[in-house]
Amino acid sequence: MIGAALAIARVKLVLELRRREVVFAMLLFVAATIVIVHFALRADDGAGPRAAAGMLWAAVVFTAVLGLLRAFAAEAEEGALDALLLAPVDRAAIWLGSALAQFGFLVVVEVVAVPLWWLLFFQEEGPAPLPVIAALLLANVGIALVGTLAAGLALGARTRDVLLPVLVLPLAIPLVLAGVTATYGAFGEEGGGFGPLGPLGFLALYDLIFLALAWGTSEHLLGD
Amino acid sequence: MRALGRPSTTVPLILSLILVPLTVVLAFVWTGEDVDQGFSQKIFYLHVPVALTSYAAFGYGAFCAAMYLWRRDPEWDLRSYVGVHSGTIFGTLVLLTGPIWAKASWGVWWNWGDRQINVFLILFLYYCAYFMLRFSLDEGERRRSASAVYALLGVGLIPLSFLAVRIAETLIHPTVFTSSGAAMPSSFFLTFLVGLAGMLSLMALLMAVELRGKRTAMRVLELQRAARGEDA
Repeated sequence: MIGAALAIARVKLVLELRRREVVFAMLLFVAATIVIVHFALRADDGAGPRAAAGMLWAAVVFTAVLGLLRAFAAEAEEGALDALLLAPVDRAAIWLGSALAQFGFLVVVEVVAVPLWWLLFFQEEGPAPLPVIAALLLANVGIALVGTLAAGLALGARTRDVLLPVLVLPLAIPLVLAGVTATYGAFGEEGGGFGPLGPLGFLALYDLIFLALAWGTSEHLLGD
Repeated sequence: MRALGRPSTTVPLILSLILVPLTVVLAFVWTGEDVDQGFSQKIFYLHVPVALTSYAAFGYGAFCAAMYLWRRDPEWDLRSYVGVHSGTIFGTLVLLTGPIWAKASWGVWWNWGDRQINVFLILFLYYCAYFMLRFSLDEGERRRSASAVYALLGVGLIPLSFLAVRIAETLIHPTVFTSSGAAMPSSFFLTFLVGLAGMLSLMALLMAVELRGKRTAMRVLELQRAARGEDA
């Protein structure tokens, strides 16, 4: 099961390395989103760390949706999906493998986007890097798990491309709330009382709950 | 469809006809004016029962979705759909009555510091997307399972949204509105319970009626297919 998932993830990553279809678009998209949200909020004149934190998280979530739109694209377009479904592989493995690939794409995007964000908004005092990185990694796990599941649900739909963002974004709201709180807290400001759990603990809890729910239901994905 | 009976429409109809008007009478005649909020507090007897009913309907929808995934009986899929649909109808009412109350008691139409209404908004957005998903898939097994999986995921979203909104509250809004702490007078609480019972029976009625309609539509479709000589 885990072996099959890793194999599927590897295929997707190798394919992406050869074709460079998704990650390059995600990179351009994340940069454009940061710039747009910046001009919408003018984070440099006094809106402060709160606006900057929000900007990063909004950009990351929207960019993740862009990647998810292509989550099963190769399979769907070239008829590989039927072969994959016929193969003696658990559906959960297909879902998990695709989620791993999405996680990988997000990490690559953030490796570029976060330094860019840093450079654009904090020449002097930025947030402590570790909590921000930890929050992003945990949120990547959540959005990859949930988003891949939603992409699997939307696969046979007539309106797949408009449907997917509508399915994923409400699910991502708690992630954004916790991520923004963690990022804001990393400035050394009072970040809201996540209590003993903390925003990072909350993100981990989110990942666990949706891992369980998605794993339990993933056998019903991707059609018959 | 064999194992599941028809939900009655008569009982919820009678109950709704008694309880919903009774709530209105009790709210205006029996209960006194709230010391803190005055007359505007009367909307409490509508808003809160409607909100709880909406949660109940979403919960029912998710439960039936789980039953569908387990049993594979299309009847559970219909019930799940009807549950989510009623939840959305009551949810619309919550999002309409909430701002009215907020305007009267806090002076603003929308209060981002109020946790219930924010959680509700997330959930409402989520379940609205359910209809987009359902109706952009062709009728059949695929649509039933995809709808069921999506309805079921909401069960994870409800507690997580509560937690996230509650936890991030101080960041979003510095002041938290708490009730004055005084216990609710028993007349208030009783009226509230009558209101809740009334809304729940109204929900049961709406669901039963819609379910009946959906079943009839399915039956008609089957008959049409049979008349054309196709196998159902």
